[in-house]
Amino acid sequence: MSLEYRVAAFVVLSVAVMFADSRFDYLDRLRYSLGFLTAPVYWVADTPARISYWIDDVFVSHGDLIDENERLREELLFAQRELQLLAGLATENNRLRALQEASANVDGRVLTAEIINISSSTGSRRVLINRGATDGVLEGQALLDAHGLMGQVVEVLPFTSWVMLITDSRHGTPVQVNRNGERAIARGSRGEVPELELEYVPDTSDIEVGDLLVSSGLGQRFPKDYPVAEVTSVVHDRGQPFATIKAKPLAQMDRTRHVMLLALASNELERSGQSGIAPVWVDNALSKGDKRLGIEEQIDELGAEPLEEVVNPAPETLGVDEPVPSETGDTVPEDPAAGQE
Amino acid sequence: MNQRTHGSWVIFLSFFVAYLLAIVPFPEWAMNYRPQWIAMVLIYWAMALPYRVGIGFAWVAGLLMDILEGSLLGLNALALAIIAYIALSLHQRLRMFSSLQQSGVVLALIGLHLMMTHWMKIAAEQAVASNLLFLLGALSSAFIWPWMFVLLRQMRRSFGVR
Repeated sequence: MSLEYRVAAFVVLSVAVMFADSRFDYLDRLRYSLGFLTAPVYWVADTPARISYWIDDVFVSHGDLIDENERLREELLFAQRELQLLAGLATENNRLRALQEASANVDGRVLTAEIINISSSTGSRRVLINRGATDGVLEGQALLDAHGLMGQVVEVLPFTSWVMLITDSRHGTPVQVNRNGERAIARGSRGEVPELELEYVPDTSDIEVGDLLVSSGLGQRFPKDYPVAEVTSVVHDRGQPFATIKAKPLAQMDRTRHVMLLALASNELERSGQSGIAPVWVDNALSKGDKRLGIEEQIDELGAEPLEEVVNPAPETLGVDEPVPSETGDTVPEDPAAGQE
Repeated sequence: MNQRTHGSWVIFLSFFVAYLLAIVPFPEWAMNYRPQWIAMVLIYWAMALPYRVGIGFAWVAGLLMDILEGSLLGLNALALAIIAYIALSLHQRLRMFSSLQQSGVVLALIGLHLMMTHWMKIAAEQAVASNLLFLLGALSSAFIWPWMFVLLRQMRRSFGVR
């Protein structure tokens, strides 16, 4: 009967498509084009949220607005005062780094975005943001909220992008303890609770409950020194070779809607620049790119794989982030207002 | 030709709404109870209009679902094509069934769909093996089926979808 033949044909076709999608990148273009078809579904699905935000914005009393305005102005004043200090510190820091021949901190330019959906499959923790290829989003960019690191872009569609959260069990974030610089890799937990587990930390390491974990910048995906998580439990079991350390992410994974996308570090830009996508809002980082090309080649020679989904830094790449001579000794970070879109 | 097909937009609208419902975020505790809207709508149309909604239609619908979910391309397509095949080969019996019996068939079909996608996701390393609680989605789908059936039948009749 023809029905059997047809289902067999489609099963074979599906298997072929799955294989091609997982092994090669022929189908990225198809995926991207189908993204145009699915965009309206997201747009409509997000409408209730947009309307509720709009209502919140429109139907608010005059008094409340004045109060909020006053509070915001106060906060801005505090923030600006700290920024003034920070500018001085950053200059000093960069000068010291130049003396040490360390790389200047890449000052990240940011693009604001909104989370418009979360992944419906239970096995993975991913969110969808309302920025896509048309906004210049590239794979591998880091996502932040006001409190800390959230994740990285894993798939770019025309108007939206999928972001894998750091709590996904297939995601590893290179971190270091802010107090003493002890390095570790924070992997998303496999359990129900969205938290991080520090992998392969020796029992003797100096990590305590309450320690702040910041991104270490190793692995060359995430920028350095962004807050990631706070250590919530440390268990030393003599039967185990490694300590069991759990940490709670600082970013408000399930509550926030407003997030920021961070520009790629310049060495990543080199790689993605070859793929032909012209980023609109990361142009200032490009000027630093030429010095880093040497490092890129070194990595290629070492045979380090491009870090795909799990960003565990391969051992070969571990030391690569540090010894880059900076060209400009005293790069002052830009005015934050100018850096935003 | 014009005589034979009529009211295609009702089919497309029903699928559009199913896609919307499929991606609407649920609270964490209710994640396992989400009905499989696309598969249910597909079963209905395969049963009611087997000459309009066939295996190819199901496959394309699954492909769009893959894009929406961000999963491996062809994963939902394969599962939905198999569901459509079973629904098509049973469609004459399904029409005769009482709503309770239909719900039973829907339970089995959706359970199969969930199981297949789960296995494929594990094989493709898109998910980690977990407990079987996700099969509760089949239960909720079977529970919703009678109402959805009546609604879609009403739409099919009043708009004369052929």
